[in-house]
Amino acid sequence: MSHWGFVLAAYALAAVVLVGYWRWVERGLRALEDRAPSRW
Amino acid sequence: MPRALGPLAGLLLVLGVAAALGWAPPDAVQGHVQRIMYLHVPAILTAYVAILVVLVASVAYLRSRRPGWDHLAAASAELAVCFIGLAIATGSIWGKPTWGTWWTWDARLTSTALLFVIYLGYLLLRSVVEDPERAATYAAVVGILGALDVPIIHFSVQWWRTLHQPATVLRPQAPTMDPTMLAVLLLNVVAFLGVFAYLAGRRYRLLTLAAGAAGRS
Repeated sequence: MSHWGFVLAAYALAAVVLVGYWRWVERGLRALEDRAPSRW
Repeated sequence: MPRALGPLAGLLLVLGVAAALGWAPPDAVQGHVQRIMYLHVPAILTAYVAILVVLVASVAYLRSRRPGWDHLAAASAELAVCFIGLAIATGSIWGKPTWGTWWTWDARLTSTALLFVIYLGYLLLRSVVEDPERAATYAAVVGILGALDVPIIHFSVQWWRTLHQPATVLRPQAPTMDPTMLAVLLLNVVAFLGVFAYLAGRRYRLLTLAAGAAGRS
């Protein structure tokens, strides 16, 4: 049994979820830090 | 949060994935598809840790009413949902070629799906209750009660007849896994925990900044 397609699909999904969440948080942080640079 | 945590967690994750896809030997019975274990097990263990943080932070919030504890609980709950979702999805992808089905209403899978729904509800509750203090209080109660499902998930494979295999790592006896496989698995567990710590720290900062901008830090 090989099933490399299933393996790569699982790893690709994990990469999309983790990188997507990280980028979403960083975008939010940048937006808030740009909006109020003097306070923080 | 140490500045090096992000790059270190990222490096560990890259090494962990490379080891999982290259260095670790294929399973004697399942072949290469068993490599999904190096994602699936760290994802659910990290989710358990995230829920432990939600539990501790929620209790601390209810006792102290300090917003910082609520922000920590919220950040961890969000990541718990991500990691539970990943564990369910990777388990499903692993289940199709090995069990012959994407999903079955087995005790381990069902109790894990319930955990996912509980913490999804936690996040939904936070978004629908307008008063931040009431939202934090309700969420803390859900966060604490939801954590009761974790021991049910863990022991489900002993309490009921299930398709899912028994515990391999978190059990009283030493793991019987091949040493190389165990080393790669532990490397990925550490990498996932590092990623969780980094992302939770960043999300905590975002929630604190947002509360400050809204005048309720």
